[in-house]
Amino acid sequence: MPSPADRSPPILLRVAVLFLLLSTASAWKKDEFRNCDQSPFCKRARGRKPHSIPSLSAADVSLSDGAVSARLLPSQPLRQNTAGDDPEADRDPSRILLLRLSVYQGGVLRLQIDEDPSAPRRRFQVPDVLLPDLDDHRLWLPRLSSPAAGSSSSFYLADGFEAVLIHDPFEIQVRRKGSAEPVLSLNSLGLFDFEQLMVKKNDGEDWEERFRGHTDTRPHGPQSISFDVSFHGADFVYGIPEHASSSLALRPTSGPDVEHSEPYRLFNLDVFEYLADSPFGLYGSIPFMLSHGARSSSGFFWLNAAEMQIDVLAPGWDDSASPAKGRIDTLWMSEAGVVDAFFFVGPDPKDVLRQYIGITGTPAMPQEFAVAYHQCRWNYRDEEDVAAVDAAFDEHDIPYDVLWLDIEHTDGKRYFTWDRVLFPNPKEMQGKLAAKGRHMVTIVDPHIKRDDSFYIYKEASEKGYYVKDAMGKDFDGWCWPGSSSYPDVLNPEIREWWAEKFSFQSYVGSTPSLYIWNDMNEPSVFNGPEITMPRDAIHYGDVEHREVHNAYGYYFHMATSNGLLKRGNGMDRPFVLSRAFFAGSQRYGTVWTGDNSANWDQLRASVPMILTLGLTGLSFSGADVGGFFGNPEPELLVRWYQLGAYYPFFRAHAHQDTKRREPWLFGEHNTALIREAVHVRYSLLPYYYTLFREASVSGIPVMRPLWLEFPADKETYNTGEAFMVGPSLLVQGIYEKRQKSVSVYLPMGQSWYNMRNGAAYTGGISHKLEVSEDSIPSFQKAGTIVPRKDRFRRSSTQMVNDPYTLVIALNGSLAAEGELYVDDGKSYDFEQGAYIHRRFIFADCKLTSIDVRPAKIGGKFSSDCVIERIILLGLPSGAKKAVIEPGNREADVELGPLTLRGGSSLVAVTVRKPNVRIADDWTLRIL
Amino acid sequence: MGACLRISLTISCLLLIWISASASIPSRESLGIAPQDLSYYKSDVIKCKDGSKKFTKEQLNDEFCDCPDGTDEPGTSACPQGKFYCPNVGHIPLTTFSSRVNDGICDCCDGSDEYNGNVSCPNTCWEAGKVAREKLQKKIATFQNGVTIRKQEVEKAKQAFAKDEAELSKLRSEEKILKELVQKLKEQKERIEKAEEEERKKREEEERRLKEAERKANESKNAPEESSHDITDQAPEKLSELHNQDAMEDHHDSAVEDKNDYTTGTEISDNQVVGKVANDHDDTIAKSGHEADGRSDGSSFSHVEKQHVVEAQDNAVSKANTDYPGTEEELSSHVAEQGQVSDSTEGLSREELGRLVASRWTRENAAEGNDEVNMAKEGLEHDEDIREENHDGYISDSDEDHKFEDDDLEDDQDAEFGEDHEEPTGAYSSDEDDKTDYSDLTVSGSSSWLDKIQQTVNNVLQAFNFFRRPVNISEAATVRKEYDDFSSELSKIQSRISRLNEKLKYDFGKDREFYSFYDRCFESKQNKYTYKVCPFKKASQVEGHSSTQLGHWDKFDESYRVMLFSNGDRCWNGPDRSLKVRLRCGLKNELVDIDEPSRCEYVAILSTPALCLEEKIKELQQKLEDMNTGQPSAHDEL
Repeated sequence: MPSPADRSPPILLRVAVLFLLLSTASAWKKDEFRNCDQSPFCKRARGRKPHSIPSLSAADVSLSDGAVSARLLPSQPLRQNTAGDDPEADRDPSRILLLRLSVYQGGVLRLQIDEDPSAPRRRFQVPDVLLPDLDDHRLWLPRLSSPAAGSSSSFYLADGFEAVLIHDPFEIQVRRKGSAEPVLSLNSLGLFDFEQLMVKKNDGEDWEERFRGHTDTRPHGPQSISFDVSFHGADFVYGIPEHASSSLALRPTSGPDVEHSEPYRLFNLDVFEYLADSPFGLYGSIPFMLSHGARSSSGFFWLNAAEMQIDVLAPGWDDSASPAKGRIDTLWMSEAGVVDAFFFVGPDPKDVLRQYIGITGTPAMPQEFAVAYHQCRWNYRDEEDVAAVDAAFDEHDIPYDVLWLDIEHTDGKRYFTWDRVLFPNPKEMQGKLAAKGRHMVTIVDPHIKRDDSFYIYKEASEKGYYVKDAMGKDFDGWCWPGSSSYPDVLNPEIREWWAEKFSFQSYVGSTPSLYIWNDMNEPSVFNGPEITMPRDAIHYGDVEHREVHNAYGYYFHMATSNGLLKRGNGMDRPFVLSRAFFAGSQRYGTVWTGDNSANWDQLRASVPMILTLGLTGLSFSGADVGGFFGNPEPELLVRWYQLGAYYPFFRAHAHQDTKRREPWLFGEHNTALIREAVHVRYSLLPYYYTLFREASVSGIPVMRPLWLEFPADKETYNTGEAFMVGPSLLVQGIYEKRQKSVSVYLPMGQSWYNMRNGAAYTGGISHKLEVSEDSIPSFQKAGTIVPRKDRFRRSSTQMVNDPYTLVIALNGSLAAEGELYVDDGKSYDFEQGAYIHRRFIFADCKLTSIDVRPAKIGGKFSSDCVIERIILLGLPSGAKKAVIEPGNREADVELGPLTLRGGSSLVAVTVRKPNVRIADDWTLRIL
Repeated sequence: MGACLRISLTISCLLLIWISASASIPSRESLGIAPQDLSYYKSDVIKCKDGSKKFTKEQLNDEFCDCPDGTDEPGTSACPQGKFYCPNVGHIPLTTFSSRVNDGICDCCDGSDEYNGNVSCPNTCWEAGKVAREKLQKKIATFQNGVTIRKQEVEKAKQAFAKDEAELSKLRSEEKILKELVQKLKEQKERIEKAEEEERKKREEEERRLKEAERKANESKNAPEESSHDITDQAPEKLSELHNQDAMEDHHDSAVEDKNDYTTGTEISDNQVVGKVANDHDDTIAKSGHEADGRSDGSSFSHVEKQHVVEAQDNAVSKANTDYPGTEEELSSHVAEQGQVSDSTEGLSREELGRLVASRWTRENAAEGNDEVNMAKEGLEHDEDIREENHDGYISDSDEDHKFEDDDLEDDQDAEFGEDHEEPTGAYSSDEDDKTDYSDLTVSGSSSWLDKIQQTVNNVLQAFNFFRRPVNISEAATVRKEYDDFSSELSKIQSRISRLNEKLKYDFGKDREFYSFYDRCFESKQNKYTYKVCPFKKASQVEGHSSTQLGHWDKFDESYRVMLFSNGDRCWNGPDRSLKVRLRCGLKNELVDIDEPSRCEYVAILSTPALCLEEKIKELQQKLEDMNTGQPSAHDEL
């Protein structure tokens, strides 16, 4: 037999090639993305040793406008570099840099460093991320203190904290007052480097960069910035999403005992089949890192939207003889932009979160339906399919609130349109869902099909609203619809225009129950470098794409969210899910962890990923339940529902090639298990909604790492398997197939009640628990009160008038506290005080409901809802009855089950039908 | 919540609606309870049905869940696991989930599930019931007619089955006789050939001697002729046909021919000649390439070429799969070796790159809109078809002789064209093979035919005189021709036998009600696709010239209510395609709906009288009766 190659005609080869290309497209394409060594700015910065480059010193340090200003100059005399052959040694900044330090209320120090006005070009400063009224909260610095010899200047930062500018070489420190050791420091390792803009000389200097057939013209040359930040007294650092990891704490990426690792990359990318554990960049970027240790917590945020690489350095990374203990050094590198960095002093972890939220904004308060369960698939094909899936939920008595339509619902991926064959009557379809209190979400992506007959394309191209390529033409990239252009959402005018497109008149076939999903807004460009937009594309204000890349999705999300706000005349809270995100995205909506895969590792990774998003402001986030790619085995799917029911954003989603996996497709037993998981979420909706309220006020996320609630308990610092839902519930996922038992560490200080059977467990130790298939371990902390609604409906909408159950878990002194927040679930009337906010306090056998609304606030919201059942865990037996005041009414007390499910035993003292209104003040005494 | 008060208020509302049905208005004690269950709730202390607890009459429907199983709250939403019964007088009673009680949505047509006054639900039972009853009546009528048709079908199936069995036994006896004849002819032929061989040798020997003598005499040269003359002479001619063929274009057709060929006959294994021709001329084929545009006229040699193409592709693909399972780098190096593209993706145009990356998510359409790649893709599809068909074919690919039987080929092609004709009903005979030339073989009462054959053979055998030398050329030719003819007849009979055997082994239902399905296909056109379902064979989706196998016949399921087709064409990153055909009673055999709820998992509905079962009628009539009873006569006037 001759070998096939000998006689394969060319056409066959093409067939084979194509076959190969398609068939091998099933794994993360490492080589499609740049690693640090392929990015000059990263490679260079990463290769440096401490104090190896010419240092800068601060000169002319003075107060102006209530802030500290200084000039950064090369230190005199220049330090001689020991490595004489280092080409960087003779790279001498041609101009001075301007430094400014300012202080904001609540313990926030801001550092800005930029070139002086003589630079050939203005470097990009990311607009519209910091709160517009931020400057109202700036502290006017009255004086600078300079100790002996004027080698540094220090000033007030917050009660008990001061900021210090060390002059030569310049270094920024945040210190506890009167302590020599800093909490945070910048450039204490002398790695600060700032590549100043240059004008191309005529000697044919070539700044171009090539990567896999793509050329980046880099017309302004190298302009990167890098520096070191040290977190003193830190045991772990967290944050800087988005990366997939099984670890909540950031693992060191460089140093002794660290296998070769890339730095954490922040570069928004559409990554096909991403790995479950990798420092590689995903869909969103938030350059905010938190540290936590037994002594303190602190945070650092660098507002910069260019590609960033961040190394977490293991002790001894610099080959020093005595590695620093109790300090975590980090190296921050960015391709462009300016230094606009924020130091957060803590000292408690929740303080750090509040400080960060104080400058980037609190999470938006979602509508109530958005907190419930979402059903998505790529794609629910047509109206018939939608109706059938909707009906099957009812048939199986599984509640859901939102049905989603992916890209195939459109006319040829022209967003804002409908495939008129598959969806001939979109309004009627939405109306049918709305009649059951359900909502619909359609997808709207940023790539606009280049088709003159498409009104959006035509309008935007006539108005010149697209991002331009390096040549100045409308950028043309490939995405779902084929050849596409991308609206330049950096421009506020274009965002306004985009927002208008969501009006009911403009978006034909949309109704008030329709909300929006923004996908592919990294932006994803299939034929672009690294599947995104070329860095030399040009935005509004002559900003290069490289400078704004990580924020593109943020502006798009913002524009869409504002569109829905406008659509509802400012009365209807928008719901917009976005895949790409940046610092501040919490103000505009929800995010999820993108295209994950149906395997156990990704189930496990979802928790650290969501916790990290929560720590960096994005409280309302989730992962695709079931895993987007691939077919989950029923056990995995059930486990994913059981875990996903606790995600802040609870949505099932699947790739179009996967088998159908609606909850009822895996046999009655699995259907029952999934129904139960969804019911758990619906019964906890009052608690979740209350937590969303808390997040929208304080930024403290709904889903929390244990250490956020137990900052002193070291055992909790790197737990990524268990998490807190609010202050009261602890949940442990089951991440292994056929797992028989699981070890759960319950934090110290309190005991814990198993939420299934009411059994009490001691805190401060690990408990080995048997794993049952019908739920994952969950516990209520002693001393807390959790509001529930135990009647299940088709959707949350029908639960509005249903009565509540209070679950009171008593601590050692037979006391407990909890909150309930209720509003209309939809509008902004709550901003005027139209809400119910109660604190329930149980002490001395007396439960009291207290109004915690500010006394003077106006606005009215009432509810006839009553509490139908009060469950008391940990109350010694002997209770006979309950007496309610006012009215001196009696209610029966009996032993009852913890949940209303068959087989649950009677474990808890239960007050039967107290029927007290949640809107009223009352007390209930147990006799 | 003051539920009691509300209930009584609502009851008075309901009274207004139910003027004449007041007797059936449920009180708190009976709210949501099915009539047959009412006695359970009679006593003062009632047990939870799960045995977990007891409750008092006051706790019945008091809006507090005492029994986790919902026993105490049949009429409220208090127990998540409860069930609510609405009488729906005039329509069918409904037992629904407790979660529907007072949720603001009218679920029961009598409105009894919404009594808290938040929403008013008019009683629509009579109207809805009327529609439902009419529908049910229609269904009963369909069943009644269907049962008759089914009976006829079963009778026909019985006859057809008997006929097929009879034919089989007759064919078997014919086969036996014919086998003997062929054997005799074969022996005769071999004897003739042996005689001829001896003669030839003798002649050669003589010639050599003569030549030797001549050479010696004249010293002149004369090369002897080669024995392989025939082959070398033929080959170029056939090859030229080959060259004129566009292999890629022809694959589909030839693949189908192929299958037909392969299924006929399994005995004679003599394809070496063809194989040799092909092998000897590999180089020529490869060099000549496929640039020529001429269409083949159906030359038998197309098989040879096609097979090679298939092998080449298979090898290329499988090599790619085994040697290069990994990354694009590896791919690109492979590609570079072939001198096609310099770098994996850099060689692609911007559009190709975009499509390629998109295809990771979509696993399709990567090549759309690009002629070159498109062609390759088409080739790929064809390639799959061919492999598919060959897979079948290889089971019996030993008989290449049929390639030379022009009659056979033509018949097969005709049959295939027949398949393309659309019948308005969407159903047609499926088995092109059965339509071929068996009529001449199996004319009923063909004993005369066999007699004739026997006579002819005997004549031939007798007419030949073995002892005449040299062998009489025309007589030898006659023997050969007879041998060829009869062995071909034999193989036809044998293939018919094997086909009948194949058919009769299937399970055609408990009354053989699906017997006629064996020879039929059902078609349904949906948008750009035409779906073909051929029970006991296969199902496919046809778009233009390309056909995708949705599955091969697997089995009946759910006691003959479902037909399963499995192991269809592979899906990118998905399962092998499969089709589930749900059968339901109808007066005609009709494919009424086909759908792909999950990628590559198809479902269809086929209405057929075969599912119109008599016992079901009673059930339906009972249901209708239930709907009619309890309906006060007053409503008839409404």
